[in-house]
Amino acid sequence: MNVLEYDNIHRAYERGRDVLKGISFAIDQGQVTGLLGKNGAGKTTLIRIAMGMIEPQKGTVRVFGKDPRSDALDVKRRIGYVSEDQALPPFLKVEDVIALHRGLFPTWDDDLALELSKRFDLSARARIKELSKGQARQVALLCAISHRPELLLLDEPAGGLDPAARREFLETSIQLLNESGTTILFSSHHMSDVERMANRLVMIHEGEKWIDSDLDDVQEGYCLALVPHEAGVDCATLLGIDSCLCARDREDALHAVFESEPGRCADVLQRQLGIENARCLHIALEEMFIELVGGQS
Amino acid sequence: MLFVVDAHSGVPIFRQLMEQVKFHIASGLLKPGDELPSIRTLSVPLGVNPMTISKAYNLLVRDGVLERRPGLPLIVKDVASEQLQTRKLDQLRESLRASVTMVAQLEIDSAEAVAAFRSMLNDLPGDPAGEPSNESGDEPGNEPGDPDDNISDQKETQS
Repeated sequence: MNVLEYDNIHRAYERGRDVLKGISFAIDQGQVTGLLGKNGAGKTTLIRIAMGMIEPQKGTVRVFGKDPRSDALDVKRRIGYVSEDQALPPFLKVEDVIALHRGLFPTWDDDLALELSKRFDLSARARIKELSKGQARQVALLCAISHRPELLLLDEPAGGLDPAARREFLETSIQLLNESGTTILFSSHHMSDVERMANRLVMIHEGEKWIDSDLDDVQEGYCLALVPHEAGVDCATLLGIDSCLCARDREDALHAVFESEPGRCADVLQRQLGIENARCLHIALEEMFIELVGGQS
Repeated sequence: MLFVVDAHSGVPIFRQLMEQVKFHIASGLLKPGDELPSIRTLSVPLGVNPMTISKAYNLLVRDGVLERRPGLPLIVKDVASEQLQTRKLDQLRESLRASVTMVAQLEIDSAEAVAAFRSMLNDLPGDPAGEPSNESGDEPGNEPGDPDDNISDQKETQS
């Protein structure tokens, strides 16, 4: 069953300037989906739409088959949500924040909450405003997962955290995956976290879905082709090839991303365009992201 | 045993894990009948989605490297010693692939390349020209893969 389903979602904050231009995808139970895109690509908007915090102007969203706005209580009780800019009440003590959440969720697991607060070394009597950014995020994570949610929505959860705190966050999420088979949708700019945690990847760019694929397929089924300027082709010619996703003219060479593994890509370039000396290589997710959406022409 | 994950290498994590299991078997660190760590115990310290580990294990079972026993941990499958030797050589070929590409890119004469390889072998401590002797695998320190790959964001797990 689909835990989360977006169907043709449109959303604009200004008339005529759509942030999301018809996004559709669905997430299966137990799937961990990394949501990628530049700042302003609409990742946060998508996640908030699933939370029922924002309404799409067109299209529908279903969480556990329900409308997160009309069935808000039922849906929210089964979701855990952490975002980078989430503000906990600054003057409350950690134990009060936890008690507050405990009261909201019937499925709250005291043992898990206790285990996490020990693990994070949280002092119950500290006030939120006295905590470091990392600790405050840990309180938010504890509150988001101690009811063992069926769906975890993480919006840039590790943003602004140091590598150790990020790792702690990652390990805690993975532990939850192990124990409860939680479905997760998370946005992140840390590609290595995406590679470690996700098994599926959705990339949005300029309001549209660019990539939606198994993570392993993205890593093995895409490549970067470096075509020397001497080959005498331009970007438009490269884009004329079906499997070419984007092409940019850079100082050193033309850079083009192909939905094809390197050997086949080199073959296609040679057969269709007579290019002999293109270098086609696998690239890490981070480079691929930059090639696809980053930088100037 | 030692697993390392490099999330920047561009090589899918399940493939990295598969290669490392095969390497540890070829090097003798993992012997036939040895148990593999469970998916749960591996996933948290390694910081990797349990399904990724499961995928690597499943493919290794399919390839006849590991053996599944109902309700028990996965073990290294017992294979004939000549097959083990073949695997060792496969492992070596795999790691030499990058060097061969390099030889071509630098346009080095193959006799010179072989000489360079031989002289490096001669620099090995112990008995370089002799038979492959290290069956017992008492030198488990080496890790597979390019040393240059292992720059950042990786985690070692001892289990």
